[in-house]
Amino acid sequence: MSLIHIENLNKHFKVLNRREGLSGAFRDLFSGNYKTVEAVSGISFDIEAGEIVGYIGPNGAGKSTTIKMMTGILQPTSGVIEVNGLVPYYNRIRQAQTMGVVFGQRTQLWWDLPVIESFKILREIYKVDEKIFNQQMEMFNDLVGLKALHMQQVRTLSLGQRMLCDIAASFLHNPKVVFLDEPTIGLDISVKAKIRSLIKKLNTEHKTTIILTTHDLGDVEALCTRIIIIDKGKILYDGDIKKVNALFGAYRTLKLQVDNFNESTLQVLQEKMTSHFGTDKNFTVSQTEEFWTDITFDQALTPLSDVLNFVMKNFSVLDVRIVEISMENVVQKVYDGALG
Amino acid sequence: MRIYLPLIRASYMVSLVYRFGFLFSILGNVIYLGVAYYLWRSIYQGRDVLNGLTFNETFLYVGLGSAIFILLKTYADWIIHFEIQQGTIATYLTKPLDFQLYSLFTNFGALLMNLSAIAIPTAIVMIFVFKVQVVYGIGLFLFPISFMFAFLISFSIDFFVGLISFYSESVWGVTATKDIIVTVLSGGLIPLQFFPEAMQKVLYWLPFQAVYHTPLMMITKADLGWQTFLPMLLLQIAWAVILLIGSRLFYNQAIKVIRISGG
Repeated sequence: MSLIHIENLNKHFKVLNRREGLSGAFRDLFSGNYKTVEAVSGISFDIEAGEIVGYIGPNGAGKSTTIKMMTGILQPTSGVIEVNGLVPYYNRIRQAQTMGVVFGQRTQLWWDLPVIESFKILREIYKVDEKIFNQQMEMFNDLVGLKALHMQQVRTLSLGQRMLCDIAASFLHNPKVVFLDEPTIGLDISVKAKIRSLIKKLNTEHKTTIILTTHDLGDVEALCTRIIIIDKGKILYDGDIKKVNALFGAYRTLKLQVDNFNESTLQVLQEKMTSHFGTDKNFTVSQTEEFWTDITFDQALTPLSDVLNFVMKNFSVLDVRIVEISMENVVQKVYDGALG
Repeated sequence: MRIYLPLIRASYMVSLVYRFGFLFSILGNVIYLGVAYYLWRSIYQGRDVLNGLTFNETFLYVGLGSAIFILLKTYADWIIHFEIQQGTIATYLTKPLDFQLYSLFTNFGALLMNLSAIAIPTAIVMIFVFKVQVVYGIGLFLFPISFMFAFLISFSIDFFVGLISFYSESVWGVTATKDIIVTVLSGGLIPLQFFPEAMQKVLYWLPFQAVYHTPLMMITKADLGWQTFLPMLLLQIAWAVILLIGSRLFYNQAIKVIRISGG
């Protein structure tokens, strides 16, 4: 039997329709005008023990809502959800014993106390045996050098250090499944790499199942074999990462700041690119932020240097950035049928 | 239950981290004692007994009252409010902990801290600086028991109010109202003997007086004897049980509508 079983799961929120301005705010005090938001609608999947699954999607896709239902914080509006053979919402406390959770934007550690104190408190809360506790602490020390941070107050840690501690803490009691909600948010590349290798090692150590929600496709690429893409509460794709990897792995977005930018620039650029490279090369020219023009293209079809050369020759370019394809672009491509 | 004990230690340690807060709360309370002393001195001018209380008893009541007020102010309402607003409640709900017990034990740690930081220094200052006479009697033995139930009542009221933020996402108005009601009707500000007689009778049956008036009477009128204290204590226990169960039932309802911000 699978470790996590979800079938036709729904979660609807009732949200007050807020009105504008001061008078609107006053009228809202007595308003009964609610709208229903379908945060999660009709999702189904199964996760086996030992898997690392990337659960990804743009902001507001319903990722955290699903996680909160799996951890028993939120009650589903309808549908089946079983973790470890139990219904999380009705067995929250029992389930919490076999579960670890990290919310990237919050900490589970005691803000004002030295790091080691939080671990000691968690040891007692989860009733971790002294011997196992010492073993775990040794392992954490080997992996990320935790001992150096023991006596530091949590609030004085850097974001990256805090995240390493938080992740270690969520594995302290040898949980069956760990939920990592945006563990690399706001971190720089080198710290991200550290966090990824920690997660990977912890997963192999005890065959812990890991559900990873993230914005960063790099996390998924580095860690997961399976990926579930969700948008607007619905699952768009569930399967092997290789297929998705082919999709976003080769795509890059070239961001340009062009002199004399005006409304027709995008169109002119699109036309010139297509006539030069041909219509079958999948160029998309768009604008996501002011003064910047985005050209998204497939590196497998057109080398970056060709695109760069062409643009430099034909336009007076002030500034250039190259970024990996964004989550929003991946979702758009999936909508467009790229995964068949 | 054992797994909740480290929470007491944790919140005690958290309070200790802020040494300046600790020192200033001692200083602040000493200043308050001075003000209360001269205020009530002038009210008593030339009279030995007012409403059945001597100056010594009133000052003991008011002075200890302020200390107990700080001790029993759990801030559970504010803490829950912020936990809801900032979504940190999610991290507690993913632990194998009951949220009500979690709050109770965390608050108890802060209470122990305040006991050493405020109550004991206040008592010392009152006895040695203001030369307050301690009344000996059975009440002194009952006081610790009564005090624990007062804590449970105060916590339950605050917890109850905090749960309102599960619905409203803001408790500012409710909390402010509750603070005034509890402070005045509990006899935390002025001894209940100074209230009109009819009002005293009503207040006697409400939970508020069980928070401050009951434990304070056991100290200021410690020699009154069993016949007076036993009914007061039983009433207090009854309220503690009612409010703990009441806030529990409310919690079970409130947790169903929880909407953690961001998601």
